Amino acid sequence: MSANKILIVDDEEIIVRLLSMSLRSDGYETITAFNGEQGLAAFKSESPDIVVTDIKMPGMDGLELLKKIKEIDIETEVIIVTGHGDIDSTITALQYGASDFINKPVRDEALAIALERAKAKIHIRERLDEYTKNLEQKILEATEEIRRKSNFQKLLIRSSNDAIVAFDHEWKIVVYNPEAARMFGEKTIDVKNIMTIQDLYTPKTAKIFKAEVKNLPDPTDMPWKEMMLQTRDGRQIPVQYTTNVLREEGEFMGIVNFFQDLTEIKRLEKELVQSERLAAVGQTVSGLAHYVKNILIGLKGGSYVVDVGMKKNNTEKLKIGWETIKKNIARVADLTQDLLTYSKEREPEFELCSPNEIVEDVIDLICDVAAGNNIKIVKETDAAVGEVMVDPRTIHRSLLNLVNNAMDACMEDEDTSKKFEIGIKTRRGPGNSICLEVKDNGCGMDEETRKQLFNPMFSTKSGKGTGLGLLVTGKLVEEHKGSIETITQLGQGTTFIVKLPYEIAGAVDIKEDGL
Amino acid sequence: MNKKVLVVDDDPDVRSFVVTVLEENDYIPIVAHDGIEGLEMIEQEHPDLVILDVLMPRGSGIRLYRHLKTDEALKNLPVIMFTGIALRSFLKSQKALDEFKGGQIPMPDIYLEKPVEPEELVQAIQKKIG
Repeated sequence: MSANKILIVDDEEIIVRLLSMSLRSDGYETITAFNGEQGLAAFKSESPDIVVTDIKMPGMDGLELLKKIKEIDIETEVIIVTGHGDIDSTITALQYGASDFINKPVRDEALAIALERAKAKIHIRERLDEYTKNLEQKILEATEEIRRKSNFQKLLIRSSNDAIVAFDHEWKIVVYNPEAARMFGEKTIDVKNIMTIQDLYTPKTAKIFKAEVKNLPDPTDMPWKEMMLQTRDGRQIPVQYTTNVLREEGEFMGIVNFFQDLTEIKRLEKELVQSERLAAVGQTVSGLAHYVKNILIGLKGGSYVVDVGMKKNNTEKLKIGWETIKKNIARVADLTQDLLTYSKEREPEFELCSPNEIVEDVIDLICDVAAGNNIKIVKETDAAVGEVMVDPRTIHRSLLNLVNNAMDACMEDEDTSKKFEIGIKTRRGPGNSICLEVKDNGCGMDEETRKQLFNPMFSTKSGKGTGLGLLVTGKLVEEHKGSIETITQLGQGTTFIVKLPYEIAGAVDIKEDGL
Repeated sequence: MNKKVLVVDDDPDVRSFVVTVLEENDYIPIVAHDGIEGLEMIEQEHPDLVILDVLMPRGSGIRLYRHLKTDEALKNLPVIMFTGIALRSFLKSQKALDEFKGGQIPMPDIYLEKPVEPEELVQAIQKKIG
């Protein structure tokens, strides 16, 4: 828009016409009026961009016209034409908001300059208007963008599969999304901006998080960790969580916790392990069939010998046959036990017991067989092991299995010049754990065999083993959160080291601790 | 004169069963616990027949059998293989060994898969040595 329309007001008609002609030749559109009233009417009907008016006019004078015009549109550029020395009216005109003055008689150059100035002012104002409008638009757009982003973030937080709980610097909860509500079992309305960390988390959990914030040098990048989350309504949820400390310019603003519910994952993991185990049992069946056949051979042979003993009244035969039968019944019992142990989920049953005494029990069980095969059993129990909270069945079963394997390793060894020896050791392990060690100097294993040790159906004993022994041992130890290490050298012997963590008597419960 | 029969088996249950069967049928049983002891017994006791298990620690039945069949003095000693291993697996292992070592070892005269009835075992023995 260019300021092109000019209203000229003067009671001297000749001046008006001359000015008008001159301006028209300069490309302006002009409107003329010969007194104040006419000028005002023309202003109202034509809305000129610039008004040039004489001051002194009969009736409504230039000052009055200026005032009226400014009342209608304060932004109209009004140029006042004054006589020399008319200071008072000039000051009044300035007060009324005249934009410029030119002296009578009006010279074309002076008018042109004044008009240019007025046009420049109009132009600037128009641009300013545009800027302002743009700015307003931009602010609107930015506000909308912010609103959308904030909505998006809110939605993101709301719909997140992670439970999100954020606290301000006073540990008041300021973010609490629906997943958090589901996990903690408290309604959003009762929590957000109302509860503090102690109200939502158990004291134990709150303590963990507070400590984390305090202790970590750079708590902005914490790794995901797993924990068993305890809710105030008494549920236990396996979760993985991470904490972020929110800071602004080094100032602590609060923390945010993300929790992921692992219940489903844990369940699937368990299911997978369970089904793998069942598949393993299936694979083991062919190996087992062989083992069972051997038991059958023993039972049939034994009953034949018993028959002969009865017929001939031969007590010696009766005794031999009966021993054979009893031994094979025990093998069936052991096999059943192994199968059950292996195929079922089992939690260790911790009780206060003495691992060293269990070692004695196991040695009692195997000493006859060992002696019969010229194998020396060397016991090295450490009294420091004492009594600990462990599952005695895990220790008994594992030790018995490992010692039986060790004896087999000695009997398999073709180097008959060796003095066979099996060492059974106990000692305290690192942290709260105990170590059981079974070491033999039998045939040892090659790498291939060592790799397959804990595989189902793998047996080196060709029908004399079920392929379940180490599998069961491995599972029991794993359920006890322990570990098995195997050190072996072909021809030199093998050492198995079982590490089992024990529980601390009167287990930790800092639930009611202060924070 | 009663015939002497050597039982080579690492399983005491099998040994006591076979020994009893032999005694009941008027043979003289002698026993060895593994392949190495088995060969010693053959050389010392000169049995009329060997009842041989296949899989044993310390000198398997496979090794003893091959030894017997390649020894000029012993190759006519009758052998009954008496084992839990299926005949097919045994033959496969023999074939593999023949290819590996060269030459061909004659198959055992009688191959009995455990478990066997006492009568079955007796018939097999009688067939070889009467």
